[in-house]
Amino acid sequence: MAHDSAAAGGALGRANKALIPIEDTANLLAAFAIMALMILGVLQIVLRSVFNTPITGYIDLVELSMASMAFLGAAYCQRLGSHIRMELLVGRLKGRALWFAEAFGTLAGLFIIGVLIYYSWGHFLRSYTLGDTTIDAEYPVWPSKLLVPIAFSIWFARLALQFIGSVRLFLNPSLEPVAVVVAKDVAEQAQDEIHEVMGDEIDPPQNGGRS
Amino acid sequence: MILGIGMSDPFLVGVLTLGLLLLLIFLGVRVVFAAAIVGLLGLVELRGWGPAAGIIGTVPHSKSSAYALSVLPMFIFIGFLAFHAGMTQQLFDAARKWLGWLPGGLAVATVFATAGFAAVSGASTATAAVFSRVAIPEMLKHGYDRRMAAGVVASAGTLATLIPPSAILVIYAIIVEQSVGKLLLAGFLPGIVSALVYAGIIVFWAILKPGSAPSVSGFSWGERVRTLPGISPILLVVIIIMTSIYSGWATPTEAGALGAGVVFVLALVRGTPLSAIKNSLMESAKLTVMIFSLIWGVLIFVRFLGFSGIPGVFTEWIVGLDMHPMAIMICILLAYAVLGMFMDAIGMLLLTLPVVYPAVIALGFDPIWFGIIVVKMAEICLITPPIGLNCFVVNGVRPDIPLGQVFRGVALFFVADVITIAVLLMFPEVVTWLPNFDFAAWWAGLGS
Repeated sequence: MAHDSAAAGGALGRANKALIPIEDTANLLAAFAIMALMILGVLQIVLRSVFNTPITGYIDLVELSMASMAFLGAAYCQRLGSHIRMELLVGRLKGRALWFAEAFGTLAGLFIIGVLIYYSWGHFLRSYTLGDTTIDAEYPVWPSKLLVPIAFSIWFARLALQFIGSVRLFLNPSLEPVAVVVAKDVAEQAQDEIHEVMGDEIDPPQNGGRS
Repeated sequence: MILGIGMSDPFLVGVLTLGLLLLLIFLGVRVVFAAAIVGLLGLVELRGWGPAAGIIGTVPHSKSSAYALSVLPMFIFIGFLAFHAGMTQQLFDAARKWLGWLPGGLAVATVFATAGFAAVSGASTATAAVFSRVAIPEMLKHGYDRRMAAGVVASAGTLATLIPPSAILVIYAIIVEQSVGKLLLAGFLPGIVSALVYAGIIVFWAILKPGSAPSVSGFSWGERVRTLPGISPILLVVIIIMTSIYSGWATPTEAGALGAGVVFVLALVRGTPLSAIKNSLMESAKLTVMIFSLIWGVLIFVRFLGFSGIPGVFTEWIVGLDMHPMAIMICILLAYAVLGMFMDAIGMLLLTLPVVYPAVIALGFDPIWFGIIVVKMAEICLITPPIGLNCFVVNGVRPDIPLGQVFRGVALFFVADVITIAVLLMFPEVVTWLPNFDFAAWWAGLGS
């Protein structure tokens, strides 16, 4: 990408590199929340059935923790192009037409996520000033509500980069793609699926799998 | 207001926004954005900007933190871990020794090993990928027709969504506000029926063409019994999930957590590297956020749909049709089959159910039954052209079997699926019997 560093690709590339670790960390936090939910569930069953002392406010804890799983990975998912869409048209476009469609799609995302950041912030602020708590164990609700505008802001940043990246390629389709999702055909999607399950363990089929 | 129609004609606003939704989705806008934007614009037209934006600002958090949804990340995590727990080889080995003597024995064994794996995995594509590696080499070694070998793996992968744990059944339950537990239980028997129909059609085909799917025999009973300890963890997970939901001993989330815990410990015992566990967690988080985004996006749209009155009008129209309800049902299922060719199953169900479901219920169909049949329908699209993702997955793991051969191989199983759908249409009890079975009364009856 040496020829690319002069213009928009340079700054865009740097912004992209800066955003990636933030997205990865946010998704990792969501991953930890899933792990914690598993441990909490097992503990709850053991404590309730064996010791007859269920965790106080278990359901409250689960509900509060769900915001981290539901939102924190949104930008990571966007970067990898995993929020579903219909590929019928986009999958067939090439060059300028493709980058126009991509720019339009990310602009739509910027609009709605922008609106949601503003109004979910308001939702958080009301909860914070009123001192809203959960019904059972009376945990404060605001930290969970705060996760929405935070996660959506990272998502917004990712969408902004993708929008700039698409516009840049629309203006000059011959440039190296930076900060855009490269549309995949079904065969490539299938490869992704295989990789997701088997990780790096995938090996040539002839040797019959791992020993 | 944008168009100036406002509350004077909510139905017209509804029709216009539905059109906009279809347009945005066709243009390739991600479904979560398309659904949320259309919901927002529709509400703005009916209620004005302030109230509309205020409503939708609360939807993502309030809808995502419902306890019932917390089972999803658990089921997703189990699915991603299942491969690392390394039970696939044992399952296939056990199935081969017990069922190999049948005509087409290895293919039949693949079906039941896959059904067993489905009990720890809710993802069709993942299941197809895993068994492409375990079962196809064995079948080819015994001289199986390549189309048969590839076809059975691609098709049997679809069993994963019916046999619990199944993420898509949970999503259906949430959207139509039915019991998650009942839907999970309801998927079990149709999953078994699907597997039996697959096995039946393999045996039938193998009798017609014995050379292309030979049986393997010569295993002693001792050898067979020795395969059982290896597959016992799967049985444990099945028992945990099924009995806890059945008896009310644990919520689906707790059962999912315990199931995930068992599979997690197994994966660790099998020496899965931490990097692979982290990878499973990151993938689980990614899939979870994708599904949750879809859910709140569509629920913003549903908020607006309620105001527009579209579902009511659609229901009136469907009920007023001069057709037998079953004929209408078949038309709806065919529409889903066509739609499924172009869209991911979860997105398709989330977008259509808010309008279609009330009509189906008004026609007198059982909500649980419809969930199972519509999910089975969506699964068929995983093996039919043009998308047929499972076929691409098999071809991806086994590039030596051309895609055309995989698609030809699944043709037989497509016939089997049509038979299964027909069975479920004619005998809805297959779906409804288990979730409505009164376990407590039966237990009490045994004691007296």
